[in-house]
Amino acid sequence: MPLLAAAAVTAVLAGCTASPASTATSTPVAGGTLVYATGDAEPTCLDPHVGGNYPQALVATQYLESLVSRDSTGKIIPWLATAWTTSADGLSWDFTLKNDVTFTDGTPFDAAAVAANVAHVQNPSTASSTGYLALAKVTSVTAPDAHTAHFTLSQPDSALLESLSMPWVAMESPTALKRSQADNCASPIGTGPFTVTTWNRQQSITLTRNDAYNSPPADAAHQGPAYLQSIEWRFLPDSASRYAALQAGTVDVIDNVQPDTIVQAQKSSDLSYLSAPRPGASDRIELNSSIAPFDDANVREAFIRSADVNDAVTSLFFGTATRSYSALSSIEPLGYSEPGIFGYDQAAAATLLDKAGWTDRNTDGYRVKNGQVLELKFPVSTNQSIPAEQSLFEQLQATSKQAGFKVDLEPLDLSSWYGALGSNSYNLVSAPYTKVGPDVLRTLFDSASTKPAPSGYFANHAQVTNPTLDDLLTRASQSSDATERASLYTQAQKIVLEGFYILPLYDQQNGYLQRSVVKGLRAMPTVSTPTLYDTWLQK
Amino acid sequence: MTPAAPLLRWLLLRLGGVVFVLWAVSTVTFFAIRLIPGDPAEAIVGGPGSEASADALADARAEYGLDQPLLLQYLRFLGRLASLDLGRSYALHQSVASVIADTLPPTLGLAVVALSVAVVIALAVAAWSVRGGRAASAVASFLEVVAAAVPHFWLAILGIVLFSTALGWLPPVSVPGPSGLILPALTLAVPLAGFLGQVMREALLDAMSSPFALSARARGENENGVFWRHALRHSAIPAIGLAGWAFGSLLSGAVVVETIFARPGLGRSLLQAVQGRDVPLVVGVVIVVALGYMLVTTATDLAERLIDPRLAARAVSR
Repeated sequence: MPLLAAAAVTAVLAGCTASPASTATSTPVAGGTLVYATGDAEPTCLDPHVGGNYPQALVATQYLESLVSRDSTGKIIPWLATAWTTSADGLSWDFTLKNDVTFTDGTPFDAAAVAANVAHVQNPSTASSTGYLALAKVTSVTAPDAHTAHFTLSQPDSALLESLSMPWVAMESPTALKRSQADNCASPIGTGPFTVTTWNRQQSITLTRNDAYNSPPADAAHQGPAYLQSIEWRFLPDSASRYAALQAGTVDVIDNVQPDTIVQAQKSSDLSYLSAPRPGASDRIELNSSIAPFDDANVREAFIRSADVNDAVTSLFFGTATRSYSALSSIEPLGYSEPGIFGYDQAAAATLLDKAGWTDRNTDGYRVKNGQVLELKFPVSTNQSIPAEQSLFEQLQATSKQAGFKVDLEPLDLSSWYGALGSNSYNLVSAPYTKVGPDVLRTLFDSASTKPAPSGYFANHAQVTNPTLDDLLTRASQSSDATERASLYTQAQKIVLEGFYILPLYDQQNGYLQRSVVKGLRAMPTVSTPTLYDTWLQK
Repeated sequence: MTPAAPLLRWLLLRLGGVVFVLWAVSTVTFFAIRLIPGDPAEAIVGGPGSEASADALADARAEYGLDQPLLLQYLRFLGRLASLDLGRSYALHQSVASVIADTLPPTLGLAVVALSVAVVIALAVAAWSVRGGRAASAVASFLEVVAAAVPHFWLAILGIVLFSTALGWLPPVSVPGPSGLILPALTLAVPLAGFLGQVMREALLDAMSSPFALSARARGENENGVFWRHALRHSAIPAIGLAGWAFGSLLSGAVVVETIFARPGLGRSLLQAVQGRDVPLVVGVVIVVALGYMLVTTATDLAERLIDPRLAARAVSR
């Protein structure tokens, strides 16, 4: 039965992902203003070095650029750097930079600029979080000549290129970085195809074409300046009015599209959906193995067997999401899938619970052991889980009840949700994690990640502490051999999946709904943010 | 004693009350927001769940004085407040005063338009039903109950689906100019009109059957004259008494309406600030709202005195 449902999902999905990307038929036209409406929060700072979240990455993709990018096969490709070499010990890297690029304030882009950017991200007063972690192993950057940036690392880092492809460590004008943080937050200066012109808070950001632009990534569809004259980047937090604005033609592209809206939009010839799952981890439910009852692997497996994910995904996502059996996103080339061990099987769940000593049931049908009810606390972040996902959790609550689990769903706002995680009183949790490359496994499953960061945050919600796993992840992160790295990550993923620490659900859902006049919209194969560089409007 | 003295004393007492309430409200908010989980230092370094380094957090705490004992932080906060300084927002990299200066006018504009529309609707329905007999009264009463009961978010979505998606008459999200104001204002106005209508209609019915209406009719005044010149004034008093409540209802409605229609405003600032544990901005918005509420209630007290001379006389003799 579960296998059948999975097949149905893939069939429906195959029918609906084919629609966008039919843009090659006509010649691009320059000019016009595209209105992009985002449902993500309005950034509080437009410089993604500061803090470092997805809303910042979305808009910064239009005006900032990174040293390298990634193509759709997952291969690292040139961007502001044209070539790179690493030493035999993996402790130093040389990046050759494009030599004719200037920031939009006239400052030349050179090795000194790269050094200034790394220093800016690593400076505590910048308060960088995502970029700071990405550059954790970089100890210094020097400029042997104007167009060679020499990186020195504290340890070999097989994820360095993937890290440098992310918008949170994009290159900004060193002249502009010397301004106050408030100024730099309001109008960061990059080398990108657009510049930030005005920011009307709570309303929109106006981005204007950079006519001197000459530095697209290696996989861009054209060279030279962008086609669009300008972009109006609007903040429309409500999903219903965002979709209504798209239908009315008030806006041209929207993000954060809910599953029911995607299905509805696919019936319209004027709209098409560009699916762009995020890289890094898959969306998954993590089982806290540090406290009872999930300190017992049998109970973890029993929960996973009793949760009918496939039926819930089919009925709540209408074929817009494909079931995942991996710890990594499907766009990660090194992702390892194990569909065989996640089958829905109530009888197996019952046997496993009997074996773990949860033999009795109370009058409500929940299992009990030594007077203790088999109860699972599940704090749900209403900021991070879309309504369909929250409903999915409710369906899993219902199916796992048959096995005798009492799941307590607690919807919480973001701060309270982190509070619940910090007090280690949760048994189940689901949190997205976006990062380019398989090194996200180290973030999520290395025992070091069970220790909270100074802010109280920790990423290893499953609280896996396994020396073999730690060793695999460390070796993978230091390996300079691609085959060895792939094999180590596969072994690591096997431990995570077969230890029943996580219940994979689907890729982190992300995509863009566009009107038919919009042509050439593309999601960056790095963190799946939209790039409007190749985009044009059909008149 | 001059005749103005009692009024002056009353105003001075009111002013003292305002200062006390502002102190109480800001104190409660200051401590309450620290009781909900979440570290305010995180709001500074990029929001909840930030993986900021120890150095970055220490820098942020030092810059905003969060490394000081809470009592000291509170006293500094009071000191700043006394010099009318609302501080800097943790998350927005801007002063609280400038955030409020940017977002208060659009919210006030929306509230004033919505209130005017609500009064017009309520009055129209009341006027029609009072003179339309029992059937009209029953219909009006039903409409008022329904209007008062519908939640803002539902009305907003209904408005968008009907007037924007289906009919294409109005923009679904806020655009500059009056057309962008119609749906948000109507969304706020309809529930308010329901409440106002219920109160006004009852007062109008009483007034239209009271002895002074009878004597006006006896003097040859027609029904229109009785209504507009005599009864209306009576219905105004209970309606004005609702003004303080209406102000609160409009502002809480603004949180929903501004989010759905993507309008800039104080409501959205407040929502964002609470979610991000942006203490200075939350406190700043709460103070401004409290001040506004007290201004409105003071103004309505004064207005009631002007409309109904009996009230003024009673207050003076007290």
